[in-house]
Amino acid sequence: MSSAADAHRRRRRAQSPAEQTFADLMNGFSLDSGRKRTRTSAPVPEREATPVVPQEVGVPTFEPTVREPEDASIVRAYAWTGGRTRSNINLEIETLVSANDQSRQSAGILQAEHQHVVELCRSPRSVAEVAALMRLPLGVVKVLLGDMAERGLVDVHQTASAGGDTPDLGLMERVLSGLRRL
Amino acid sequence: MDYVGSRFPDFGPPGPPGRELTSAKIVVAGGFGVGKSTFIRSIIESSDLLTMTALPPERAGLVTELVRIQFGRVWLDPGLALHLFVAPQWQDPRAGWNDVVRGAVGAVVLFDVMRPADSVDAMRYFEDHRIPYVLALNNVHASVRSDVKAIIHGMGIGRDVPVVNCDPRVRLSVRETLISLTEHAKLDRWRRRPGPDETTPLAPVC
Repeated sequence: MSSAADAHRRRRRAQSPAEQTFADLMNGFSLDSGRKRTRTSAPVPEREATPVVPQEVGVPTFEPTVREPEDASIVRAYAWTGGRTRSNINLEIETLVSANDQSRQSAGILQAEHQHVVELCRSPRSVAEVAALMRLPLGVVKVLLGDMAERGLVDVHQTASAGGDTPDLGLMERVLSGLRRL
Repeated sequence: MDYVGSRFPDFGPPGPPGRELTSAKIVVAGGFGVGKSTFIRSIIESSDLLTMTALPPERAGLVTELVRIQFGRVWLDPGLALHLFVAPQWQDPRAGWNDVVRGAVGAVVLFDVMRPADSVDAMRYFEDHRIPYVLALNNVHASVRSDVKAIIHGMGIGRDVPVVNCDPRVRLSVRETLISLTEHAKLDRWRRRPGPDETTPLAPVC
């Protein structure tokens, strides 16, 4: 798995900086998407070249936990997501997403990552599956899919247990029936 | 770009497109080498599990280790996908479990009678977070089962936890274990439903 990921990374490095994708930049995501992290507003002293980016409440904070060679990468990442706040869409690891008519019509004018998600999601895939098959960390995939959902490029099939509660009795009964038929 | 997904076999839902989709998940926990991957492999459609990476939370500075979470998926009906996640293992097994466990139907704890301590942290986590779970023992004699119950009750955990026999290699056995868990979770949920005044859960029946 690592060799394919390395080759992947090498291809990305060979591209011009302008073509580097957000996946290269957002490698500081945690499982909780950094929501619980607080972030100081002062720039880190040794990275004087880093522009001060306004912090919006609700925007996933990401601190590259590996030192980035280019400080402008943070600015590019914000530009990529447009500084959008997370919407009401709740993406659990098992939440299914699927491509829709709009994404199919948009083929050819989508960014590379979006295009690959659309191809992958012609059949419904869970967030976890997208992360595994695209070999991206979970936190990055949540932002990617959340962004695509906000733009209407994928349909998100919210689970009945959205919000962290245990599934309701109806869903459990359905799971039970399905298991008995296996 | 070369993504695995372009070549990955696609076991889509068994039904026409356009239906409502939803998903559920069950967590499979237990010590190293106890058979969690085998358990999942026995029941899913594809021949192997997928692996997702994630970064554990609360890590300052350089990240030196990714967490790898293995899982599989099986369609229970044309609109319902069941995901089975292997609970990640850390020094501290509670670290980073939240995303995996949140909203799950429940958990199966594969119990290695030779290494009972491996399961204890997982069991405590599930009890602390009120996640329904069952203990699955691999084909042990009834007397061993009661010994196991005595041991874990002595540790202050595992009260009212169903203990079932399970051979992770056998599909039917895995299915029965999952059914036991779901029945247990359903009963647990039913007991915790809001009472007549709709504000507090009813007390346990027994």
